[in-house]
Amino acid sequence: MNLAKLMEVPGVMAAFTYTDKGDLTGQVIKEGNELTPAVLDLLAHTCVANMAVATMEARGWEAMTGQKGFEPLQGFSLVGLDWSAVVNGNCGVVVKNRDADYEAAFAAIVACAA
Amino acid sequence: MHIAKQLMAISGVIAAGEYAYRGDRYTYEGNLTDEFARMAAILCRANTLNASMQAEMFSSFAEHCGCRPLQGWIVRGRQVSVCAVGNFFCLLENRQGVLNDVMTVMRAKVGDIHDGVMKSMYSKIGGDITEQLV
Repeated sequence: MNLAKLMEVPGVMAAFTYTDKGDLTGQVIKEGNELTPAVLDLLAHTCVANMAVATMEARGWEAMTGQKGFEPLQGFSLVGLDWSAVVNGNCGVVVKNRDADYEAAFAAIVACAA
Repeated sequence: MHIAKQLMAISGVIAAGEYAYRGDRYTYEGNLTDEFARMAAILCRANTLNASMQAEMFSSFAEHCGCRPLQGWIVRGRQVSVCAVGNFFCLLENRQGVLNDVMTVMRAKVGDIHDGVMKSMYSKIGGDITEQLV
């Protein structure tokens, strides 16, 4: 898992890695923003929880509607006021909404998680 | 033009709709049955409220962390994704450029509006706006 590679994502403010339980295992935070390791740790925990919920919903949706194409999930993004967190597997990035390229961010996260 | 109509004009969008923060009202356009649209509206409302609560909690670690109020969320599937911004949702194919176009439209129309989304949400679910947003 290459944090330096994740820091090349457009608009990136921070990149981080975490365990399956959401505990932070590594982070790089660009200077000049309000993000802290404590915020990233909470963010990682919420994203693990959200990925679990989303997986449950995707599986249920596919079974109930017959519409395929969700599983396996490729990631989850929490879109805040100024920034968005994009996560998958054990990798995550925080990107500025103003400069965000969500498709590039998801592609980088999927590559990191592979 | 209605936002759902604008989203449906993007090639690769499967369906788009709007839901009420409280109650079961919803409208939609696109390739969903009425029952599936109702389920999607309920699912998106529940997830948005949950994610909003999480964004509120981030501010206890850093008051001006830039996360609240929440604008929305994205679930990226293998071939299909779901976006929710404010009280709108969109189901789309994972084709090049579609997700970014959808998010640009949704954020321009219903996101990036400072406290409006949360004020509206709290007022509709009966919460104390002053207490929650001060």
